[in-house]
Amino acid sequence: MKNYDTLLEDLAPKKFGKRGTIWTLFLSVIVIAGLIAYIDQVIKGQVVTNMRDYALWGIYISNFVFFVATSFVGSVTVAILRLTNNNWRTPLVRIAEIISLAAIVMAGITIMIDMGRPDRLLNLFIYARLQSPITWDVIIVPTSIALSFLLLYFPLLPDLAILKKHYSKTKPKLSNWYGKLALNWTGSPAQKLIQEKSIKIIAILIIPVGIILQTIDAWLFSTTYRIGWDSTNMGAYFISGAFVAGVGALIAVVYVIRRVRKLENYISDYHFDKMGKFLGLACLTYLYFNINEYLLPIFTAPVEEDIHLNALVSGEYAFLFWFAQIVGLLLPLLIVLFKNGRKPFPMFVVGMMVVVGSWWKRYVIVTPTLLHPFLPIEGVPESWHHYFPSIHEWLITAATLAMCMLIITFLVRFLPVIPIQRTAEERDMLKNTKNTES
Amino acid sequence: MEDNNKNSRRKFLDKGLKLGLATAIGGMAISKISKLSAKSNTNTGELVELMTTDGTLIQVDASEIVEIVTATDPDIQYNVREGIPNRKFVMVIDLAKCKNALKCVSACNKHHYVTGENAWLKVHKMQESEDTAPYWMPRTCMHCDQPACVTVCPVDATFKRRDGLVLIDNERCIGCRFCMAACPYSIRVFNWAEPEQEITLNMDHNMDMGSQHHMHASPDYAGVPSIKGTVDKCDFCPHAIKENELPHCVTACPNGVFYFGDKYEDTVTNGEETLRLSKLLEDKAGYRLLEELGTAPSVYYLPPVNRLVDFEDGLENYKEFESVEKPAES
Amino acid sequence: MKINYNIRFIFLAMIMVLVSGSILKVNAQEVKKSSVRIKADYVKTMNKEVTFKIKATSKVDNQNVDVTNIPIIVSNEYDDNEVELGSIITNMDGSGKFVIKDYNLIKPDSSGLYTVNFSFKGNDTFKRASKSVSYKDASIEAKIIVIDSVHYITATLKDTAKDSLLSEQLLNVQVQRLFRNLRIGEEFNSTDENGTIIVPIEEGIPGVDGNLTFEVVLLENDDYGTVKTLVTAPLGVPIVDQSTFDDRKMWSPRNKTPIFLLIFPNLVIFGMWAFIIYLFINLIKISKSKI
Repeated sequence: MKNYDTLLEDLAPKKFGKRGTIWTLFLSVIVIAGLIAYIDQVIKGQVVTNMRDYALWGIYISNFVFFVATSFVGSVTVAILRLTNNNWRTPLVRIAEIISLAAIVMAGITIMIDMGRPDRLLNLFIYARLQSPITWDVIIVPTSIALSFLLLYFPLLPDLAILKKHYSKTKPKLSNWYGKLALNWTGSPAQKLIQEKSIKIIAILIIPVGIILQTIDAWLFSTTYRIGWDSTNMGAYFISGAFVAGVGALIAVVYVIRRVRKLENYISDYHFDKMGKFLGLACLTYLYFNINEYLLPIFTAPVEEDIHLNALVSGEYAFLFWFAQIVGLLLPLLIVLFKNGRKPFPMFVVGMMVVVGSWWKRYVIVTPTLLHPFLPIEGVPESWHHYFPSIHEWLITAATLAMCMLIITFLVRFLPVIPIQRTAEERDMLKNTKNTES
Repeated sequence: MEDNNKNSRRKFLDKGLKLGLATAIGGMAISKISKLSAKSNTNTGELVELMTTDGTLIQVDASEIVEIVTATDPDIQYNVREGIPNRKFVMVIDLAKCKNALKCVSACNKHHYVTGENAWLKVHKMQESEDTAPYWMPRTCMHCDQPACVTVCPVDATFKRRDGLVLIDNERCIGCRFCMAACPYSIRVFNWAEPEQEITLNMDHNMDMGSQHHMHASPDYAGVPSIKGTVDKCDFCPHAIKENELPHCVTACPNGVFYFGDKYEDTVTNGEETLRLSKLLEDKAGYRLLEELGTAPSVYYLPPVNRLVDFEDGLENYKEFESVEKPAES
Repeated sequence: MKINYNIRFIFLAMIMVLVSGSILKVNAQEVKKSSVRIKADYVKTMNKEVTFKIKATSKVDNQNVDVTNIPIIVSNEYDDNEVELGSIITNMDGSGKFVIKDYNLIKPDSSGLYTVNFSFKGNDTFKRASKSVSYKDASIEAKIIVIDSVHYITATLKDTAKDSLLSEQLLNVQVQRLFRNLRIGEEFNSTDENGTIIVPIEEGIPGVDGNLTFEVVLLENDDYGTVKTLVTAPLGVPIVDQSTFDDRKMWSPRNKTPIFLLIFPNLVIFGMWAFIIYLFINLIKISKSKI
C-alpha cells in the first residue's frame, strides 16, 4: 500500500504555489480588463470595435471558431483513442476533458459577445427559426457543454470518493465538498455498472456531437454566398482543423501541468511520443484538406476568388496566411516526423506553435473573405476597406482566452488531473477492484 | 406577443380612425363623433363646415378635419409581415441613363434619416475589365425572391412578404449580422453606434404629421428610427407605396433611371413614362445582378447601351469614401 | 381603446400648437404678412364625383413654401348668388381635396359657365387670398366594342350645356395602374367630327381577376377642365399570385419551416437530449444506490 499512498500524494490536487498564484492573478486581471471593455462595448455599441459593414465579423467570431475547434480534443482523445483501445491515453484523458469543457463553455460566451443586442438573447429561443445555421449552433453548443460536462464528471466519481477519504482528517471542509460531488460513490457493483454503461454511451455520443458541432461551425460560413466560404469542403476542413488545434492545445497544457505538478512518473516521454504521432496524423489530414481548399481554385477560380486567393497568398494577408500555414501546420508536421522532435520540450514548442497558428488561421478564414465582396467596396470611409481588431476587441478576446485558461487552472487545482483510481488499477495497486474505464 | 399587441393596436388606430371619420363624413355617425371629441381634450373649439356625400352640411371640430384631409390612403389595410395583397413590387434600373447625379442617394438618406457612414442606396462605379466600358450602377436592395439574408436569420427579424418586399423588424433583430454576411450584394448596413437621428427625426416629425405614427420603429418605414445594434437596409419605401406614391429614389432621379411598379400589373413607371415591364425588359435586354447565384432579385438592370450621358460627367460627383453627406458643421 | 384615441388627439393637438407656434415666431420677426397663392384644379369623374384639388403656397424669403392648416372656404357663384359649398383645411403639404359627390349641387350661370370660388380669410401670418375657377361642363361616354374579335374602346366627348359634340380634342386612353396609369393606343387621340375616338385594346394586360379599368381622359382643357370616365371590363389576364409566401421554403418564417428541417434537427435534438437526460438520471441513480 505504500506505492498507493505515494500515488495518491502525487496525484491529489495541490495548492497553488507562488507561481500558481501569480498566474491566477495575472489571468484574473486580464479577465477583469476584458469585462470592463465589454461593458463599454454594450454601452457605446459595437462602434468600439473595428468591425464595420464590410468586415462585419472579426476576431470575436474567429476566436469563437478557435474555441469550438479546441473543444474537439475531448471527442478525439477520449472517444477515438478509447474505441481504438489505445491505453496510453490514461494519464491524458482528464486533461483533455478539462480543456474540452473549458473551451466549449467559452465558445458559448464568445458568440454572445459578438451580438449587437445581447439584451435580446432570449429571442433566439422565442423566435427560433430552424432554417438558420445560428439556430443549429444555439442547439448544438449547449448540447456539447452538457455532454462535455458529463464526460468529465462520470469518470471523476471514484476519484472524488478517494479524495473525500484522503482529506477526511486533514481538511474536513474540502473533504465534505468532494463527498458531495462524489454522489455517495462507494464503488459498489451497482454503481460501477451504471457508471460503465454511462461512460460507454458518452464515449459514443461525443463523436457525432463533436462532428456535428464542428460541421455546424463550418456551415455558419459555407451557407453564405461568400467567396472563400462557399465551399463544400468546409465541414471536413473544419473537423480536421479542430483535430489539429485540439491535440496541439492538449500537448501544450499537458506539458505545463507535468512540469508544474512534477508528474514525470506518470506522463513520460512515451506519452509525448504517442501524442506527437497523433498530432502528425492530424496535421497530415489537415494538410490534405488545405490543399483541397487552396490549391484546387487555381484551376477554376472565378475572378473574385482569384482576387481573394491573391490577397491570401501574396497580398494583404500573405504574412498571416503563411504564418498560419507554416507555423501552424507545416513546421509542426515536419518536427513530429523526427523521433527527437517528439520529446517533451520540442513537443511543447510544437503544441504552442499549433495553438497560435490555429488561432490566426481562423482569423485568416474569417476576415479576408468579408473584405472581398462581389460588388466593389465604395462610399464608405477608407478605413472600412481593412480590418484589424481594436483595443476593445483585443482586450475582450484576451479575456476570453484568459478565462478559458482560468477555468482550466481551477479545474486542475481542485481535480486530480490524472485519474487516480484508474492509474492505480493499471499499476495493479488495488487488488480487489475491477477495471473502470474512462 | 408584445409585438403583436403593438401591431394590432397600431392597426386599430389607423383603421378605426379612418373608418370612423369616413362614416362621420357620410353623416352617419355625427353623434358618435361629437362624443369622441367630447372625450378628447384636444378640441380647438373651432367648428368647420363639411359637406357630406348626400349633400348636407355638417359641423365638426377642426381637429377632426386633419385626418380626413390627409387620409389619401385608399384603405389599404394589411399585415406588415404579409404585405399588400396581389402585388409584386419590382424595380428596373436603366444604366444607360445614369450619370451619377446622386439625387437618389441624397433623397434616400434624407427620407430614411440615414446618419451612418454607409448609405442604403449607393451608385457604384463599375468596370468589369480593363477593355470594357465603365458605367454607373445604382444599387438598392434587390428584394430577392429567394433571399439569402432571410434564410439565415435565426429569429425571423428579417422577412419576405407576399408582395415581394424584404423588410426588417428592428425591434426583434439580435444583431448577429449573419444576414449581412449572407447577402451577396453587400447592401445591409449595421447601426454600430447609437444612431444620431435625434435632431433630424424629431424636427421632421413635429413638422410632418403624415408619418407621426411611425415614431416607434416599424418594418414598413425603415430608419424611423434606426436602432443601435440592429441591421438596416433599403426597404423599397412601403410607407410611400401604400399611399400610392413612388419610392423616394424614383421620384428624386432627374434622369428617370429608376422605374418602379407592380410585376403582376406588368407596369413600371419612372414618374414620367409608364411602360409594360415585359416589353421594357425585352426591348432593352434587361438582366438581374448575379443571376447565377439563384437569389432571384426583384431589381432588373437595363444594360448601359446607347447611353444618353457621358460616363465622365458623373466623375465630378464621385466620392470613393463617402455616401452619406455629413451635415455642415456650425 | 378610448385611451388610444385620446393619445392620438393629444398628439395632433400638440403638433398643431407647435406648428402654429413656429409660424407665430416667423410672424414676430417679419412685420409684413405673406400673401398666399391658392391653386385649384377641377376634375370631373363621370357618374362619380367632382373633385377640386387645392394647393396653397406662399413665398417666404423667396422660397415657395406650402401653407398648411389654413381653412379655405369653397363657394359656388352664379348669377349674383354666392352659395357656400363647404370648407377645407389644407394638410401638411398645403393641399387638400374637396369632393362633391352630387354634381347638381353646383349651379351654372345663364351662359352655362360654372364658377367656383376658393377663399381664405387670412390670419396672423398670411394675408387673405382667393381664387376663382370657371369651367364649362363636358361629358365623355365610353364603351367597349368588338370588331373582328379585336376589342376597342370608343369614347365620345360632348359639351353638356350645348349638347354638342366636341371635335379635335385630345383624349388620353389608359388602364388604371397602381402608381401611374398605363397609356394604351396612340400617344395623342384626337376626336373626329363626331367627337369620337377609337383605340384598340392590347392583349395580355394583367388585372386582378382579369378585370381592367380603362380611363378616357380629357386632360386639363382650358374650357372644360379635366374630365374622365371609367369603364371596367374583364379583358385582362387574371393575376396569379406567384409568391412563395404560403410555401415551406428556406426563407419562410418559422411556422413554415421546410418539413425536412423540422424532422432531422428535431430527431437529432431529441435523440441526443434523450441520452443526456438519461445520463443525468444515471447520476441520480448512482447517488441513491448506497452500497
